[in-house]
Amino acid sequence: MMQEGRDWDRLVVSRKDTTGEEAVIGHTQIRKGGIAKVTGTAQFGADVDQPGQLYGAVLHSPYAHARILHVNTEKAQALPGVRAVVVGSDFPTLYGSFIADQPVVAQEKVRYQGEPVAAVAADTEELAHEAVRLIEVEYEPLPVVNDLETSMKNEVLIHEDWSRYDCSSACFPQQGTNIGDQYHLKKGDVEQGFAEADEIVESDFSCGMLQHTTIETHTATAKADPVSGEIHIWSPSQSPFSIRGLLAKTFHVPLEKVRLTVTEIGGGFGGKYEARCEPIAIALSLKAKGRPVKLTYRRDEEFAATVCRSPVHMHIKTGVKRDGTLTAQQVTIEWDAGAYVTTNPRVDYNAGFAANGPYKLPNAQVDGYVYMTNKTLGTAYRGFGVTEVATAHERQMDLIAERLGMDPLELRLKNVLRNGDTGITGETMQTMAVAECLEGAAANVEWNALPDRWVDEEGNLCGKGIACFNKLTGTPSTTSVLVKMNENGSLYIMSASTEMGQGVTTTLPQIAAQALGMDLEKISVAPVDTAITPYDKTTTSSRSTFHSGNAVLEACADIKNQLCRLAALKFKVDAAEVEYTAEGYIQCRTDPDKRIHINDVGKSGILHEQAPVAAIGRYGTSDIFDPPPVDGRQSKRPTVMWMHGAQAAIVAVNPKTGRVQVKKVGAAHDVGKAINPTGCLQQIEGSIIMGLGHALMEEMIYEDGKLRNGNMVDYKVPTFMDSDVEMKITLVEQAHPEGPYGVKGIGEPGLAPTAAAIVNAVCHACNADFTSIPIKPEHILFRKERGDASQI
Amino acid sequence: MLPKFELYMPTDLSEACRLKGEGAEVVAGGTDVFVNMHGGKDRSARVVDVKNVPELQGHTFDPVTGLDLGALTTHREIELWDVIKQHYRAMFEGCSRVGSVQIRTRGTLGGNICNGAPSADSIGPMLVHDARVVVAGPSGEREVPLKDFYLALKKLDMGPDELLKRIRIPAPPAHSGSFYIKYTRRNAMDLALLGMSAYVELEGDVMKTVRIALTTAAPTPIRAEKTEALLTGKTAAPELLAEAGKTVLQESHPRSSWRSSAEFRLALLEELTVQALEQAIALAKEG
Amino acid sequence: MQQVTIQITVNDEVYIRTVPANTTLLQFLREELQLTGTKEGCDEGECGACTVLVEGHPMNSCLVLAAELDGKHVLTVEGLATDGRLHPLQEAFLEVGAVQCGYCTPGMLLSGIALLNLYPHPTREQIRKEMEGNICRCTGYARIADAIMLAAERLDPNHTNNA
Repeated sequence: MMQEGRDWDRLVVSRKDTTGEEAVIGHTQIRKGGIAKVTGTAQFGADVDQPGQLYGAVLHSPYAHARILHVNTEKAQALPGVRAVVVGSDFPTLYGSFIADQPVVAQEKVRYQGEPVAAVAADTEELAHEAVRLIEVEYEPLPVVNDLETSMKNEVLIHEDWSRYDCSSACFPQQGTNIGDQYHLKKGDVEQGFAEADEIVESDFSCGMLQHTTIETHTATAKADPVSGEIHIWSPSQSPFSIRGLLAKTFHVPLEKVRLTVTEIGGGFGGKYEARCEPIAIALSLKAKGRPVKLTYRRDEEFAATVCRSPVHMHIKTGVKRDGTLTAQQVTIEWDAGAYVTTNPRVDYNAGFAANGPYKLPNAQVDGYVYMTNKTLGTAYRGFGVTEVATAHERQMDLIAERLGMDPLELRLKNVLRNGDTGITGETMQTMAVAECLEGAAANVEWNALPDRWVDEEGNLCGKGIACFNKLTGTPSTTSVLVKMNENGSLYIMSASTEMGQGVTTTLPQIAAQALGMDLEKISVAPVDTAITPYDKTTTSSRSTFHSGNAVLEACADIKNQLCRLAALKFKVDAAEVEYTAEGYIQCRTDPDKRIHINDVGKSGILHEQAPVAAIGRYGTSDIFDPPPVDGRQSKRPTVMWMHGAQAAIVAVNPKTGRVQVKKVGAAHDVGKAINPTGCLQQIEGSIIMGLGHALMEEMIYEDGKLRNGNMVDYKVPTFMDSDVEMKITLVEQAHPEGPYGVKGIGEPGLAPTAAAIVNAVCHACNADFTSIPIKPEHILFRKERGDASQI
Repeated sequence: MLPKFELYMPTDLSEACRLKGEGAEVVAGGTDVFVNMHGGKDRSARVVDVKNVPELQGHTFDPVTGLDLGALTTHREIELWDVIKQHYRAMFEGCSRVGSVQIRTRGTLGGNICNGAPSADSIGPMLVHDARVVVAGPSGEREVPLKDFYLALKKLDMGPDELLKRIRIPAPPAHSGSFYIKYTRRNAMDLALLGMSAYVELEGDVMKTVRIALTTAAPTPIRAEKTEALLTGKTAAPELLAEAGKTVLQESHPRSSWRSSAEFRLALLEELTVQALEQAIALAKEG
Repeated sequence: MQQVTIQITVNDEVYIRTVPANTTLLQFLREELQLTGTKEGCDEGECGACTVLVEGHPMNSCLVLAAELDGKHVLTVEGLATDGRLHPLQEAFLEVGAVQCGYCTPGMLLSGIALLNLYPHPTREQIRKEMEGNICRCTGYARIADAIMLAAERLDPNHTNNA
């Protein structure tokens, strides 16, 4: 059993409509696979070696935007031990999951500093790097699009002709511009809503460019046979099936010929959702006559040449009645998305549905634009844009509260969506617990006992801030699992919901153990391999426990049936006479003495020389999905699952040094049902410190297309010394009717309100309006203090 | 990945000097050199590891003559040494905030001095403690005040075949105190955006000796001598310390960079001068 | 390329190996000895993932040359469990939930062991300070500190800690 009830127990469970009486779920369980991680035997991406393996190295562009005039690889080729050199023309296909705009290796031009221009495979890593240094490239520099402002002018186009690219139906580039995607939501009539308002509040907010900064960098080992076309990749890939599909298309081979074996993943957060090293390693292996090639990015390459969270600028305008009722809200979102579109359309889309927050709004409009710039590539980052829009809408809520002289919590509670209210797409909302989350977060910092701002004994300016959010999970999507019983009665779950620290390989066995009444120790999740593991769309969007959990439940129902049939043979009764009890007994209805417990199935003999017990479980959300039309995005069911939560922060700001200390964070998240309570806390605690970094420290700084701080000292993720934050966390359980045991997702939500709550607290503390993150000491020292509320 | 190099591990000082004179890169803890090599900034073909040179090893404290520190003394040794916390507080504050435990376990004072980074955390504290460095070479030894050792950015008063051998720091008299404030964006594993060191010797309420050193405020670590002169011989009063904060601004030259603006560094300098002096004075009163 | 021969004790096993002079301890462990539990995160001493103990002292193995370690003792994550039993710190990491993705874990454990050697009954403040060189992106650190506190108690159960 895990340690509970000690000073490391930061948990409060607020059960709205769950019982907490289950045997396995709802109780903290020790992480599956943990022993391998503490003993060092867990195999991460770079720990994989293949016989005959070569090592890859990449030449990255020093220019942010340049035409490639000439690439000379002769000297590199001539170096003994060099087995392959790849340049752009070797693999002219473009790839991209929303729009195929990205080359494996740059072709006519480079679009960001760090873009791969050539790659080498050699006998040793040292040799590969030496060969890379011998490649000569002649560039003709082009004007650099460093920021949104320049991008919007469209004087320099990063992609000259969008129509050249293969574009999916979920991406909306605008020909002749730098706009790579757009999103438009329209509910009611905002102009009419503004006319009905007593007050209009407008504000801007910007978020800095962030890196996932997983401690494991991107890496891939590929073995690609140029004759048979078979490709095998070993990589720490978050979403193996989506990458498999992309790679099959890129290398013109049938899907089934691409096999991806997932290693342990040293952190994901969205960063390992994109194919980065995989395509290059495959290209090198193909050119090296099929020898395996391992390519591992160094930390500087990780910063310059992988992915990031796009910086974003947002403008919000809200109409509000004097009593605090919101009448209309208009949001414009401008993503500074980097050089290729990647998953930005999904970020744009998810952020679009969340841009107004979890509030009742009769009239709303959201316009999102993905602008291309000559920077590294924006993509998914724990929340797909939701954390960013939360900073904007939550800052705006505080400004409204100030204008009206209301308490920020009171204003939010007045407007939050509750069951039966109409959501932003016209949907009738259900299983809402935002109000409970706000109240829980507030209670965890004793919100009502604190003034907006005060000064502590040391002269620090202190303040409180609160924020909430709503986030949808990607819909529609599908998943499948295979649950198979081993000869001894133990179970393997085969699921492609990859484990990257979030704990899915513990929650899925818990769900199965609960369903079957079985010991958790007997159930484990098998390693993930696309040649063996059943299909799952992605491990993103906080969807795994919900979707794969449902699939596990379906499979377990089938397992029960199969076991009943086998037991009937042994009991020599009709199969219909055997039932599976809630306690896990396979038992004869008419003669309860004839029974076998699930934990004893192995030794019961019922498996012996019988058809093996194995079941498929499937789950998809196409049937419940009401596709939101491009024009206005109104829908009765845009998602299968909304997630909600709130956090409140207490900060102390040193007015002389500008340093901010986050003293306390109170969180409350609606998890539907906490399958593994400590697992939920791990997600939220980790998010709080990550969010602290986003609010106050982290930022990728580009000057004229050049990254200035691509290392782990100058890009500042919080250290142990920055983690002295008192945390109190409430798990609200408002069961989701379609979730397994009521579950909702919690992988991303922990992060969504953190930066927003900290920003609001710092603004209160300083009596100033900070309009971007990270809030740096400079901003604090040179802040503009505000007058009374009427001037806001 | 480190570039290819020939590695020398001499046990003899003159051999080490000779190798350095021939162009070999000197390595002690490796926390700067190997970082630069991994990053491709340093591709030296020859590396001389001086850790086995006995003349550079060891560290002692004598209440009369003070500290005699081998150049190989690590930040961690300084951090965990009671004598330092007791008598050389600024050095404790500086050395205990270099990098991380792992870095401090390897990184040496000699390396910190010779690397010449404007942000080095041990330099300011050693400057205000009036450290002198012993430089050894083929023509013998010479002792140089640390404050005269820095000629320009990353340029030291040391010949190509000379090595930094030892650091000597006088024993602080009674009623003296020192302090160092490292200003960073995060609480660990960070470079000083500004480093402020102060040393004060009191005679009654009068500041008999004052030394102030600034790091990351100019291309080299510097002493703020004008400000020292302003304070010396006077009673520490809040107004005077505030004036010192303003005077420091005249003798520092912080630059604007993507790390922070010069205006911000100037604002900090003023504030941190006062804070460091206050702390040093408080410690001097205790001593 | 200059080769250097060293005799080195890793996790109580003696190895005699000849390696290029520029081989780091990290490369030596991972590539020469195939001990891949020690992780590379940055190769610049900025993340702590490659932390091992050399003669009991925590070091970034990416910044140490194998050639320097002739005659020296190195402890890596593979050397913590003995006789098929986890070290109390490993056990505590699992029990309090200090492990998520697990990539920083080996370095964290080694820094934790060094810390417990220095401060058998550490305060939370001491833990944060001594562990400052190990970056974790998943946990937010609190549970890692919890685990160290728990292990400290278990390693010396008679001690009552008032901190």
